[in-house]
Amino acid sequence: MQELKIQKMPVELRPDLSMWKLEGELGPESIARIQAEFELVLDSKQNFLIAEMSGVTQVSSAAIGQLMGCRQLLSERGGDLVITGVSLDIKSKLSAMGATKIFKFYNELRSAINAYHWEVERKAEKVGLSFPPELQFVPPVRQMVSRIARQKGYSHRDSFRIETIVDEICNNAVEHGSEKVKKNIDLTVQINREKIELEVANASDPDKIENLRAVSSSLSKPPTADAGQRRGRGLALIKMLSNNLDINFSGEGTSVHVTKLREE
Amino acid sequence: MDSQIELEYDDIKGHADTKMVRFIGDLDATNVETVLEKICNLFNDGYINIIADFKKLRYVNSTGLGILLHFSKSAKEKNGSFKIANVNENVYEIIEIIGATTLLEIYDEVDEAVAALK
Repeated sequence: MQELKIQKMPVELRPDLSMWKLEGELGPESIARIQAEFELVLDSKQNFLIAEMSGVTQVSSAAIGQLMGCRQLLSERGGDLVITGVSLDIKSKLSAMGATKIFKFYNELRSAINAYHWEVERKAEKVGLSFPPELQFVPPVRQMVSRIARQKGYSHRDSFRIETIVDEICNNAVEHGSEKVKKNIDLTVQINREKIELEVANASDPDKIENLRAVSSSLSKPPTADAGQRRGRGLALIKMLSNNLDINFSGEGTSVHVTKLREE
Repeated sequence: MDSQIELEYDDIKGHADTKMVRFIGDLDATNVETVLEKICNLFNDGYINIIADFKKLRYVNSTGLGILLHFSKSAKEKNGSFKIANVNENVYEIIEIIGATTLLEIYDEVDEAVAALK
């Protein structure tokens, strides 16, 4: 029988995160060892525990039950215990025990750490895109941002709304852009667990800016469904779909900043 | 790199002045002029009623919505209609936000739209 080893792994600058590397057999005889190590975790007030289990060769329901108890205690403190690196064979056994309904599983340690940054530290991720001021580039840009939102856990519905916002602000940037100064449009996306912030900046045509000012000043009214008007609803639509919309005009260009809170 | 949109056409039995048009893909600023031309050609060919099947229309933006309203207006001017069926919930939300649900004839199913033809 291969005795269970629990190696505490160093975590820099994360006082409430602890990581274990488990190796060997997670049998009934390992319960006492798990409990002892867990008490050290509780004493140090580390409420988030990542159990790296790529080296685990056997699991027993008793030991998994013990880990479930640990997770329950951490949960009550607002924390969690997640598992990474299990082999397909071990995962299959854990599934049969019902453990896959209790724990979050990650393929790699890095994924679990990223999830911690995302969920607990509310860390934002930032993406910058720069593309020529032509309409043909807008569809792939909007679809990419939508997929980022989806991948970060935003719902299909919310991701669609984000896609619409990106489409509208980028189309406006193209249509109101300067025809003399062919400068790329810059889109910055900052997304965290709670909201997404989008900023589009472009070089504007001074003549078109006045149109844009007029439209933005009418944003207090809902968008018009006037059948005779084919265009001009984009900014109003953005305002209805988002939580905050700021438009800044300067001598050289226009920037539009949109904030949308995650809704589902 | 225009967004892909495809239009497929079908006749409606018993309604010689009606065409069913299936919209497939995304309707946005990159392809709206193409769609405008194709539907206007139908009007010019004497089809005063258009039934737009949106079952496979994934996305529409404000520009696309603008031409849908234009089609509705144009059809009415010819004493016809532009009916829409099978709108997905995301597209419907955009139509609703714009306030166009009362201006467009929207049906759950194509059969309902056909039944509503004069």
